[in-house]
Amino acid sequence: MMISRAARPALRAGVAAAARPATLNASSAAGYATLREIEDRLKSIRNIEKITKTMKIVASTKLTRAQKAMNDSKIYGQTSNTVFEKAETKPLEADGKKTLIVVASSDKGLCGGIHSGLTRKVRKMMLEKPDSDLVVIGEKCKAQLSRSNNKNIVFSFAGVGKDVPTFADASAIADQVCLLPSDYASVQIVYNKWANAQSYDATVVEAFSEEAIAQSPNFAAFEIDDEVLANLREYSLANALYWALAEGHACEQSARQNAMDNASKNAGDMIQRFTILFNRTRQAVITGELVEIITGATASEG
Amino acid sequence: MAFAWKAAGLTYNRYIAVASRVVRRSLKEDKRIAAERRGESELRFAKWENGKQGDIKNLAQANRAAAAELAAKASS
Repeated sequence: MMISRAARPALRAGVAAAARPATLNASSAAGYATLREIEDRLKSIRNIEKITKTMKIVASTKLTRAQKAMNDSKIYGQTSNTVFEKAETKPLEADGKKTLIVVASSDKGLCGGIHSGLTRKVRKMMLEKPDSDLVVIGEKCKAQLSRSNNKNIVFSFAGVGKDVPTFADASAIADQVCLLPSDYASVQIVYNKWANAQSYDATVVEAFSEEAIAQSPNFAAFEIDDEVLANLREYSLANALYWALAEGHACEQSARQNAMDNASKNAGDMIQRFTILFNRTRQAVITGELVEIITGATASEG
Repeated sequence: MAFAWKAAGLTYNRYIAVASRVVRRSLKEDKRIAAERRGESELRFAKWENGKQGDIKNLAQANRAAAAELAAKASS
């Protein structure tokens, strides 16, 4: 490489003296440049592949923990929901009261369309009930929703998604939501529901208001004091949030694993293509040089 | 039935958070460390008004402040 580059000006002068067409000269010069470029490009793609591979491994180790947490919290949430199923609680028909939508996403990206799926779902819900209030958990959905629905956001939470969500997180959020001044007809939590390792869909889970619980048809069967009802509502909200956060977290990890797997595959493809291109260009350059040397030699001999 | 913690201005979630913290702290050393990790929360939050994000605050501190405020209201 070094010798050929050093020899180049002399060669070019020789070529010019031989009155070769200028276009050939230009293309061979471009050939030298791209060889260097391809090499740099290859190096950077290799680095990217290394990073995505590592991220995939990290995501898959986290995924097993997240899945375990999700299964635990699912049982937890379903048990808590049994009360409402047995009481046949239904969301109150909106009589002028607002709906609160809680979006359970996370802070981290690089996991495919998982956050934008949630955002799309929320936007669709906002079209139906434009005066609903929003509580956004996680930076990613906050950034997306603040562009379209910034007037509706009342709270945003950050700091989720580093680790498996804890119940302490969920209850702290539920506490803040309960302290909101306005009275909501229903609280709807939007989260990613785990379908299987490849797919997930944005789902709504309902956390009922006190009135909705009190008005449920089978409510009398439980003999709940009115005073305790507020506690039940707060607690069930925290439960539902915990469930949603844990399931969303598991979905995110699995989505990240998939996304990184695809990215590594694509990087592998690109590396292959560029290696072939690199070798081909190198050969072309060598052939070109040989041709130039031979023609130069024959010209000077003659 | 009136609850002492309700009179003190705690919400139910706050009440169970305090109770669970006490339980975690009274565990044996090795189990306590693992259990206390489950009680941690590093959430930050921001209040939004008219489409603008307000100051970012630590959620645990804000909850404590809110509880204290409610307690003051309840006792007066």
